[in-house]
Amino acid sequence: MGGSPLRCEGIFKRYDGNVVLNDVSLSLLPGAIFGLVGRNGAGKTTLIQILLGLLQADSGSAVVMDEPALAMTDASKRRLGYVPQQPETLGWMHVGDMLNFVGDFYPMWDQPYVEDCLKRWSIAPSRPLSKLSPGERQRIALIRALAIRPQLLVLDEPAAALDPVARRDLLRELALRAGESGTTVLFSTHIVSDLERVASHVACLHHHKMVLIAPMDDLKETHALLQVNSDMAEQLPGKLPGELSRRRRSDGGLSIIVVRDSGAVWPAPAGEAGVQFESPGLEDLIIELTS
Amino acid sequence: MNPEDLSIRPGAAEPIYRQIVEQLRRLIASKQLSSGESLPSVRDVAGQHAINPMTVSRAYGLLELEGLLERQRGKGMVVAASRRRLQTDDRRLEQLEPGLTDIVRQARELGLADRLVVERLKVLLEREK
Repeated sequence: MGGSPLRCEGIFKRYDGNVVLNDVSLSLLPGAIFGLVGRNGAGKTTLIQILLGLLQADSGSAVVMDEPALAMTDASKRRLGYVPQQPETLGWMHVGDMLNFVGDFYPMWDQPYVEDCLKRWSIAPSRPLSKLSPGERQRIALIRALAIRPQLLVLDEPAAALDPVARRDLLRELALRAGESGTTVLFSTHIVSDLERVASHVACLHHHKMVLIAPMDDLKETHALLQVNSDMAEQLPGKLPGELSRRRRSDGGLSIIVVRDSGAVWPAPAGEAGVQFESPGLEDLIIELTS
Repeated sequence: MNPEDLSIRPGAAEPIYRQIVEQLRRLIASKQLSSGESLPSVRDVAGQHAINPMTVSRAYGLLELEGLLERQRGKGMVVAASRRRLQTDDRRLEQLEPGLTDIVRQARELGLADRLVVERLKVLLEREK
């Protein structure tokens, strides 16, 4: 204990000869709410499945609560909450029966919490699971994952099926329930504003590589966007110190994302004529890094 | 004060903890929040805006360090008495030090005359009054 509840190192994975993950490493601090972003097809779901031992990597290691992901003990599995992108349902069961059934397997099962959530979200326990809307199904999956009082909670695109109000509810639940009980959370999303609200850390997967891992609060203070006009772009030497990405704009200028240590100075061209210096919002930053 | 009185803009260039710090600083400086007034709990702010409670704690903690807020038993965070706030000018100035040092270094790198930098700083200070 005390180590990282979820980590992987040097993960490689191919499907049918195509590289899906290329040397990906990640380590979650205990109690962190880790947001994983990336465009569709970047490899987010594959990474999550490898982290949880649901899929075998070609090489590299994944460790869950100090056990190899592929050989997790039942005791660890009972402290792991997982909400897949499309929660599987025992469609023929009623909501209440399913939750009771599942709860029997978990020693820490929090029945009052389950009842409180169902009431708050107006889902009657007597309804058949097959009659729930996609959003309701997502909520049931979340209730189920949180009710086991997990030490580690992993959610794959939890907000995808939800409308904005329901999404806000889900984020609130994550922030309060997980954030306060010290549960470590990993969730993937492509909705950057969600990430920014609840995440303590952000990781960005692009072209099957990890291009960014940073604490959320420092991110905006340690990253800047330099807009270099076309004249200046000609004179620019090779890679700038701290340069993360460089994109040639249609007007011949350059958009460059640079990173610095907090408190350190920005690289030299930041103060020169022909270079505009911007603090990008998270969304702009992610777009620059992934386009 | 109610949690919904804070405005949180995830898209902005400022991190969320800083948005909270700046708003509370302004409200306290302009006496819209007076000494002794309670702040909403971390949980209520986090719940209202669906944000990470640690972000709210961090903002409150920074303001506590600045002497603007203090923890009171049973009441949670309250706006500190203004005498205490005055006493801590030096400590607050200390917190500006890293930023100021940074500016000095950059001014040197850009080869700017001291006079120009100081004048510019005065203009900016005046504008934010």
